[in-house]
Amino acid sequence: MHLPDGLVPVGLAAAGYAGSAALLGLSFQRIARLPDPGAAMPRAAMLTAVFFAVSSMAVPVPPTTVHPMLAGLMGVLLGWFAVPAILVGLFLQAVLFGHGGLTTLGLNGLILAPAALICWAAWRVLAPRAPTLAAVVAGSGGVVLSLAVFVAFVLIGLPAEVDAAAERAALGVFVAAHLPLVLAEGVLVAVVLRVLARVEPGLLPRG
Amino acid sequence: MTCRSEPGRLGGRALILAGLAALAPLPALGHAALLQAEAAQAIRLHATYDTGEPMAEAQVIIYAPDNPAQPWSRGTTDAEGRYLFAPDPGLPGRWTVQVRQAGHGAVANVEVGPDGGDAPVLSVTGGGMETGPLQRAVMVALVVWGALGTALYFRRRRAGDASA
Repeated sequence: MHLPDGLVPVGLAAAGYAGSAALLGLSFQRIARLPDPGAAMPRAAMLTAVFFAVSSMAVPVPPTTVHPMLAGLMGVLLGWFAVPAILVGLFLQAVLFGHGGLTTLGLNGLILAPAALICWAAWRVLAPRAPTLAAVVAGSGGVVLSLAVFVAFVLIGLPAEVDAAAERAALGVFVAAHLPLVLAEGVLVAVVLRVLARVEPGLLPRG
Repeated sequence: MTCRSEPGRLGGRALILAGLAALAPLPALGHAALLQAEAAQAIRLHATYDTGEPMAEAQVIIYAPDNPAQPWSRGTTDAEGRYLFAPDPGLPGRWTVQVRQAGHGAVANVEVGPDGGDAPVLSVTGGGMETGPLQRAVMVALVVWGALGTALYFRRRRAGDASA
């Protein structure tokens, strides 16, 4: 789910950096407008670690493996903080594990961060009426949106010398392998929010 | 033009005969296979995901050092993610091999030494790093430790602000 170094055209990678930088600037601006910007920092730091660790885990889904993306969870729990948290997590994964790449960091940020923000917005709209449904929609939606952006980036950046039909077929298999994850992340967000409500209501995001 | 003269006709016949003689072995030529075998240095690729799983049926694209824009050769890995190719020793320099599947993949560089002499070596660089489970666990633990520290730092500062 991370675009690696060396396979993406330079122009696309540069555009990815520009997009991620703009998104990061916007999120910093919004964070600075919060009444107490430091208040959410401990949670953002811990969720960065969770994102880094959990999305490095590979779950075998034959014939391939998938790893959790957590865009929905990050969005719901962190709001605007999700953008810096995701970028820091991706950077650490690229540097420490070679998972993703430094040249594609911007693109990988654009795969996850906008999805997180959209899920957050959807959750805020739905949560007052149907909290569980809102959580499932946010968790599942995060995976669907990230997958859509990933596939779009791969198809846009497909060089002419690559067998496009084979690559499209492989992408189809890849997307199908992620369908269980759509369900799993929806349930995950619902469970996390329920546990937080019971154990530590102070950590609950404000809807 | 000399066909009409007497010696020319003779020459013509000789030509036809020679032609027939040349045609006679043709059916045999069509079935005779010629096999030239020569030893060459080859590069064996093994493409896996970082989980250790093979990249089966992945696309392999090979670029020669003289033209990094046009692929020199293309192929597909087998079910175990393996692929074998012999770079042209007449094109010394850095060969680039790309293996990709569904947007994932890796790039390796193969250095082909100059032809002749006693050092026509192939050396391979790149191709991603391998991390063992222990290394992974330590790195994850370090990052979690850092995040915990950051969290506690901000929490404490907030507590301090509140008491002040």
